[in-house]
Amino acid sequence: MRERTNEQWLTELRGPNPDAALADLYDLLARDLGAALGGYGGGVEANFGDFAQEALIKITANLDSFRGESRFTIWAKKIALNVALTELKRKRWRDVSLQELLARRGPAEAQPTAEQLALQSTVLRELRRVVDEELTDRQREAVVAVLLEGMPISEVARRMGTTQNALYKLLYDARKRLKRQMEAAGLSAEEVLAVFDEG
Amino acid sequence: MLGRDDVVKLVRAVAQTREIEIGCDECFDRLDGFAEAGFSGVDASAAMPLVRDHLDKCADCRGEFEALLRALRAT
Repeated sequence: MRERTNEQWLTELRGPNPDAALADLYDLLARDLGAALGGYGGGVEANFGDFAQEALIKITANLDSFRGESRFTIWAKKIALNVALTELKRKRWRDVSLQELLARRGPAEAQPTAEQLALQSTVLRELRRVVDEELTDRQREAVVAVLLEGMPISEVARRMGTTQNALYKLLYDARKRLKRQMEAAGLSAEEVLAVFDEG
Repeated sequence: MLGRDDVVKLVRAVAQTREIEIGCDECFDRLDGFAEAGFSGVDASAAMPLVRDHLDKCADCRGEFEALLRALRAT
């Protein structure tokens, strides 16, 4: 592939004959997607050529948003990886519904030792109260799916009909609310973690 | 609803909460610069602490960042 400066990439891709630049970029993206995501787990089948093609469309439509803070090719790879990982996560989680995640949360597990019991009981009661009563339904759904069940934010956002950025903000607001409520109840994170981690 | 494992996860997430955080969009906007800086030996975490903080919290963005580093190492 011919080496190009950032300016050359932009000029060629915006110009009347972008085919050579598009072909080079496609090869680069397909190759590097394979190198970066070849080991992606979960038994998900990945067609890196399709991802590279989809990424090319997104890249050429968003050339104006390239801020020049890196080499153009790194910016392009970032977009291609976002395209590929979003789709791979969707496939990997397709058989899990948010309702199932909420429904399958059981009662608390084994009881702690005697000296930890009082604090654990207080913390559990307070956190359950905050989660049940003070978080909105959407915050609760997102907290369970992302923070407790480890589902990708992008995938939860898609199912909740919002963007990844908006869902991160929703979770941020939920974390802040939990933090304020813990502080109001006189519970420090360090103390709580010490008592639960050792339990 | 919450078990003891949930409490640990939840309280860890709460403990990481800062007054100022950036979202996924801003992290994504700056991710290529952050990756390239780190790759060329600059202390990107010191130069862009809010990006580092977001990557520590957001598994989605961290996954994309780590994949980008793998792509850069492969070339």
